[in-house]
Order: sequence, then C-alpha cells, then structure tokens
Amino acid sequence: MELLDFYADWCGPCQMLKPTLEEFEKAHPEIKVKRVNIDEEEDLASQYRVSSIPCLVVLKDGKEVAREVGVMPLKKLEKLVAKAGE
Amino acid sequence: MKKYDVIIIGAGIAGMTAGIYAVRAGKSVLVLESTVQGGQIINTLNIENWPGDLGISGADLSQKIYAQATKLGVQFEFEEVVAIKDATGPAAAFPPFSSSSMGVPQAASPVGSFNGFIIQTDEAEYACQNVILAVGTEPRKLSEKQAKDAGKRPISYCATCDGALYKGKPVVVVGSGNTAKHEMKYLENIASKVYHIHHDDPIPEDAEAVFVAIGRVPNTEFLKGFVDLDSQGYIIAGEDCKTSREGVFAIGDCRTKSVRQLVTAASDGATAVSAL
Repeated sequence: MELLDFYADWCGPCQMLKPTLEEFEKAHPEIKVKRVNIDEEEDLASQYRVSSIPCLVVLKDGKEVAREVGVMPLKKLEKLVAKAGE
Repeated sequence: MKKYDVIIIGAGIAGMTAGIYAVRAGKSVLVLESTVQGGQIINTLNIENWPGDLGISGADLSQKIYAQATKLGVQFEFEEVVAIKDATGPAAAFPPFSSSSMGVPQAASPVGSFNGFIIQTDEAEYACQNVILAVGTEPRKLSEKQAKDAGKRPISYCATCDGALYKGKPVVVVGSGNTAKHEMKYLENIASKVYHIHHDDPIPEDAEAVFVAIGRVPNTEFLKGFVDLDSQGYIIAGEDCKTSREGVFAIGDCRTKSVRQLVTAASDGATAVSAL
C-alpha cells in the first residue's frame, strides 16, 4: 500500500500534518508515504483531481481506495489506512 | 477512567494557553482536540499582531505553543468529544441537538453540589472537576441552494490553502465581508477571473471552484442544553468566562465577546484558570 500526501509549502494545515505523517511512517514502515508538492508536480495533482490540500490518497496495488482532505490526527489516519486496506 | 482536575476541549490558542496556566497552577490538565493543535490560525501564513514575533506563520506559532504546553506537563489527546455529562447525573444528562433549548436556562446543578463531569470521546471516557470549552468556530457553510448550484465543483473555505490549484482558471468568491475581499484580492493574482457574488446569487457557470467566505459559526451544536448559548450559538459567558453551568468555562472565539483575536483568546485562557 502507498499513501500520497498532496501538499504545498505555503499551506499551513499541510505543515501541521507533516509531523503526523512522519510518526505514521515510523510506525508503519510497510506503507510507502510519497510526498507530492503540488507546485512541482502539477500533473500528478490534476491526474488525481486534487481540489483542496492537504489531501491524502491511499493506493492499494496502485489503485485509489480512499482519500481524505484536511489535517487529521494520527489515530484517524491509521484508521483510514487500515480500513482502506481491508 | 483517567481523572483530571481540568479538561480543556479544543487546542486552539485559547485552549493551549489555558493549559499552560492550569499546569503552572498545579492542576492536572488534559486537552482534547479532534484535528490538530492551533485552531483557525493554522490557515494564516503571516501573523503580525502577536506580540514577540513580527511575522510568524500560524502553523509555526501553534507548534511553538504546543511544544511549550507539552513541556510544562499539559497532556493532549487527539480525540473528538461526543458528549459531556454530570458525573452524578444520568447517562444522558442533557438533551443534545434540541434547538428549542437554545437560550433557555437549563436545570444546571444547584450551586455547590456538582461533582465534576464525564467527557466521552470517540475513543475513551475521562473524568474531571472543571471543563473549559475552547471549541472555536468554523466557516459558515454554503446555503443549500448554492451548494446545489455548485454541483460537483470543489468548494473551498480557504483561498490561501486551495487558490493555487486554480492557476489560470475562473473561480468565484461568495461573501460580502472583509474576509471575502481578502480572498478575492489573493485569488486575483492566481485565477484567470474572479467572480464575486453574495450569499443568494446564482453561481456563475464557468467558475471552476467556489470559494466561500460568509462568516463563521461556533462549534457548539453538541453543547445545546448543557450550557446557555445565544441566538448565534455562541456560549454565553462574561469576561470572567463563567458559563451558565457551575464548573464550566468558555474561552476564545466560541464565547460571547466583542473582540476575537489571538491575544484575547490567550487572555481568556488565563482568566478562566484564575476563576477555577
């Protein structure tokens, strides 16, 4: 499974989500977290129709299985990913 | 069940400041927050009216205050509060979501008889002697008519967060206040066209995203019947931050007050703790 984190440097909520994602990475090394700067990777952002950031997209075998917009605590993120992996 | 002297609901500037003052006064303190510390200010890129920093981002300020509070011994749990009840009362001590109870004095515990409160979150239950409500406000949602009009187009409540996703595209700003003006000014440098409409107008067909700035509403729905609210939903409390219920305080933007700023939010935090 993979987690795409669509963010931008000028986005406050994205900055607030960063430590949570780092904690998540440490606790779940089996899930790859890919950070996507929407200013640098506009194509990827539009491919995934990202309309609001921070936006987290969960991929399973390369296919989107869940997404959530907005900052969230670690517990909620873990639940989102666990549910998407079922 | 874990017990605390004080439970603070909301980790915005008001809530975190109250936490700092309460631990320094020797209290055990838990702050409950459903998303992330900082509150509304995390959306602000550059703050120039917080003493001590000429130009700090809301995210950085929030992290600094959070680090300070944690170091001093304030505990945080990132859980969503679903109910508050009297420690001695029945399971449903107050009727939630009853609009008829707004502004009507409730059967608050008689003075001197309260035994604290039980706070239920989506994860656990906690007991405490005092509750400080620092629940803040959220953007007022688009009207049903306009939401229908917007259809599948993205709706955003923060131009500085989402504006850049609409580079060279037409967008619309809904609202007539200062925030709407700021949002328009910001978007004019990014979008190909910025329409401006009021809260009753139809949404232009070619606008690719709808930016909403029609004011804010307090996050007090779950408190109806527990403490008195005014007609707008703000928690009725004076400058002493005392609510209609003994042992319960309201601080920051969710309280009835005339100035809603970072410094007045912080100020409420100190005031409420001194009244515990």
